[in-house]
Amino acid sequence: MLLAKIALGLASTVAFAAIYTFREGVIRVEVDEYRAGGSHVHLWVPAAAVPIALRCTPRNHLENAAVKIQPWMPTIRQLAKELEKYPEANLVEVVDGDDYVQIRTHAGKLQIDVHEPGESVHVAFPISTLEEISGQLTENIPGA
Amino acid sequence: MFNRTKLVAGVSLLSAIFVLAGTSAAFGQSGSTKDRWLHVRVINSDNKGETVRVNIPLELAENVLPTINKNHLHNGKVTIDQAHMNDVDVHALLNAIRTAKDGEYVTVQGTDQDVRVAKEGGRLLVHVKDNKGSKSNKSDVDIKIPMHVIDALFSAGKDELDVVAGLHALALLGDTELVSVKSEDSTVRVWMDSKNSSD
Repeated sequence: MLLAKIALGLASTVAFAAIYTFREGVIRVEVDEYRAGGSHVHLWVPAAAVPIALRCTPRNHLENAAVKIQPWMPTIRQLAKELEKYPEANLVEVVDGDDYVQIRTHAGKLQIDVHEPGESVHVAFPISTLEEISGQLTENIPGA
Repeated sequence: MFNRTKLVAGVSLLSAIFVLAGTSAAFGQSGSTKDRWLHVRVINSDNKGETVRVNIPLELAENVLPTINKNHLHNGKVTIDQAHMNDVDVHALLNAIRTAKDGEYVTVQGTDQDVRVAKEGGRLLVHVKDNKGSKSNKSDVDIKIPMHVIDALFSAGKDELDVVAGLHALALLGDTELVSVKSEDSTVRVWMDSKNSSD
């Protein structure tokens, strides 16, 4: 009986965590180098983990980042706010022979795809994450 | 990477900012800024086939530009360096054009280029056609500048261009073509409509 209760508790926790993760979305970073010894980095991080990770980041690092990005903070926040109004849009597309760059919004995410011969980079993250990150960085501006 | 394409795209974007076309009188349409998109398309028909497509919602540009304070851009306005104006009183010049009747102002038919500057239906039209050089270097440039958009651009003061006001004026227009550049090996098109993709 006790085991069943523990199992139910665990299952509920996992279910709630999964629902929360999917609701908040996932940050996807994929870097592939198509050559011998080339690196392949595939990173899937729940967007919900970002604010937690930022809170765990040493304050001096956050302050440094905040100071560097401070002039662009209003732009980033406004851009995030505006992009949320356009969940499906091809913003920029550049094709040059085998090179390809695309910046678009898709399903509420900002996607950046870059293909070059021998290398490709894909980054996708929920637009709302931009707002959250800029908000937390703003809080860490010294004297703010 | 993409140096040439970037250059052409940059020129096109700048042209788009300065052209910001059409008059509601001329086009007889109006709309909210929310569903207006500015499109830039550059296609090079060389063997690599470079293509640049930029689609920007006007409302986004209107709301984001004022947050950028860098170099000559502040609060959605671009400071004009008087040193590059050669002592031309742009406001007086524009006022003269605004009050002038429709007609052809400049017509140059040369061996190198044909140039036509005219005012028609509330728009300033600029047409430049290259006659010299190889076939691939010849180009046709068409720019249509609505007067009320120019007024909005120069509404900030003597030394400033109010880009946000220009965008807002532009957003009140219907679908319209702003810039068209055609040559043997490339085409550039800047236009505005309510679609969120260029093709």
